[in-house]
Amino acid sequence: MNDERTAAGSPSSFIVHRSSFGVALLALSALLVLSIALGVRFGATPIHWNDPTSRTILLQIRLPRVLLAAAIGAALAVAGVTFQTLLRNPLADPFILGVSGGAACGAAVSAALGLSRIPGLVPLIAFAGACGATAAVFLLARRRDHTDPTRLLLSGLVLNAFFSAVILISFGLARQSDLTAALRWMMGTVAGATWTAVALVVAFLVVTMLILAWFANDLRMLAFGEEDAKARGVDVERVTLAGFAAASIVTGAAVAVSGIIGFVGLLVPHLIRLIWRRDFRFLLPLCALGGAALMAGADLVSRVSVPDAELPIGAFTAILGVPFFLSLLRRAR
Amino acid sequence: MLELRDVAYAYAGAPALRDVTLRVGQRELVALAGPNGSGKSTLLKLIARVFAPQRGTIAFEGTPLAQWLGKDYAKRVGYLPQDPDPAFPMRALDVVVTGRAPYLGRFAWESARDWDEARAALALCDAEHLAERYLDEMSGGERKRVFLARVLAGQPRLILLDEPLAALDLAHVQQFAALLRDVVDRTGATVLFAAHDLNWAAAHSDRMLVMQQGALALDAAPSEVMRAEVVRALFGLEVETVARDGRTWIVPRVT
Repeated sequence: MNDERTAAGSPSSFIVHRSSFGVALLALSALLVLSIALGVRFGATPIHWNDPTSRTILLQIRLPRVLLAAAIGAALAVAGVTFQTLLRNPLADPFILGVSGGAACGAAVSAALGLSRIPGLVPLIAFAGACGATAAVFLLARRRDHTDPTRLLLSGLVLNAFFSAVILISFGLARQSDLTAALRWMMGTVAGATWTAVALVVAFLVVTMLILAWFANDLRMLAFGEEDAKARGVDVERVTLAGFAAASIVTGAAVAVSGIIGFVGLLVPHLIRLIWRRDFRFLLPLCALGGAALMAGADLVSRVSVPDAELPIGAFTAILGVPFFLSLLRRAR
Repeated sequence: MLELRDVAYAYAGAPALRDVTLRVGQRELVALAGPNGSGKSTLLKLIARVFAPQRGTIAFEGTPLAQWLGKDYAKRVGYLPQDPDPAFPMRALDVVVTGRAPYLGRFAWESARDWDEARAALALCDAEHLAERYLDEMSGGERKRVFLARVLAGQPRLILLDEPLAALDLAHVQQFAALLRDVVDRTGATVLFAAHDLNWAAAHSDRMLVMQQGALALDAAPSEVMRAEVVRALFGLEVETVARDGRTWIVPRVT
């Protein structure tokens, strides 16, 4: 709030814009470093650097896990803010659009069929499911070279219902042993993270963010609607297609590695907007940092809050995020 | 500056524009009049490159629209849709500075000059005091001025406004129309605005293009349009005319 008042009095508000963005970047980076440090420091076993076993746990189990959580948080938040911008709808996120549902459907069905015994196959099918769902939603919403946001959301909702039905049927038909694998996957987890998984998600994240940064100046113009953007020289069809493809692929990668972790894609962009309320060029890096920090924090809490047990991380993203979100929402205009 | 030849457009088979041919020069203040659904908005959208004409050609400064680069064209032609509404809350100044978007390169941020232009445009629209306010806290008239400033910030040579006077009360119509005149005088740009209200269109323009069922029915000075027999022929409405201070107003006959 103070920020707004200084801006009113200053001769050129662009300096204020720059500095508050810098402050936001620094604050969120600090938060991310802190949550990663705490996540590595605390866990089921205490860490002693001089002990080789301890060092192996740190480098091969805990560090990749914390980094994977952060990368997935960044991926989901970036996908969320992109969908919200593209659809001009604050409710849009990877889940509502059916992208995660497609991935879940692919993974749950293949896990229930017992395919999880073949390493690497289920994530691949999940990834294919995410891409297939996006393509289906996009084609359903397209009419005469034009993509209608409302039709897109509706198509996503309907496909989600279909995916849920398929998932339930596959559970009903699955054997008990396969069911556990499928369910665990549905709950979402970063346990058992490998450096390969970290590298994979980070690679997808970097490529996605580069694509989105390339189109950032165009994407922010979509805020005023498609026709307005067209009149301002934005190639709306190309930007929309690129944005959707990038956001869906990064969602697919995240869901394929960790299963379904809800709420981050919806929550983080809103948090960032409530605090800084800036255009897409600001939101993209801030959401990536915020999502990463939130997920690394949620992972820590899910591991240490109950001794000798691990709770679903998706539940903690919600438990950490919701009170914060609600208090901001009440204070915001 | 702007030349349309035999321009036609149809939405899913329903014709919206039929064979429109016209020319608009520099420093003109032109009203696009006509009843609802007569094709005013469609014509503006075609000129703004929101749609491409299905038949005929539109040329700006001698070059067909299809040959203009998107950003180059957007620098020269500013378009204000009927009800622009950003999806998320924004400050007026942040809205206005998006009018500079065609000048920004990839990965670029607005320079101090862009912010100065945005402030200057707000000042021109008599809306400097609104700079730090949020759009959703403003009245309809204030929003209109902010969005006009957004168009002006891009320093266009041709300004297209879709129903800028609609939803404004009497005093604000006068204010806004005076502002349009001011813009033409001060920036030398051409303004083409749609207005379904014949009286306002005539009172605040130098030239009127009257649309009727997608066709250009009349292209004349306001004094020639504002005659009872012309209005009867165009709108099928019995009216009387009243002359006041050198202007003619039409008054519908209430039966």
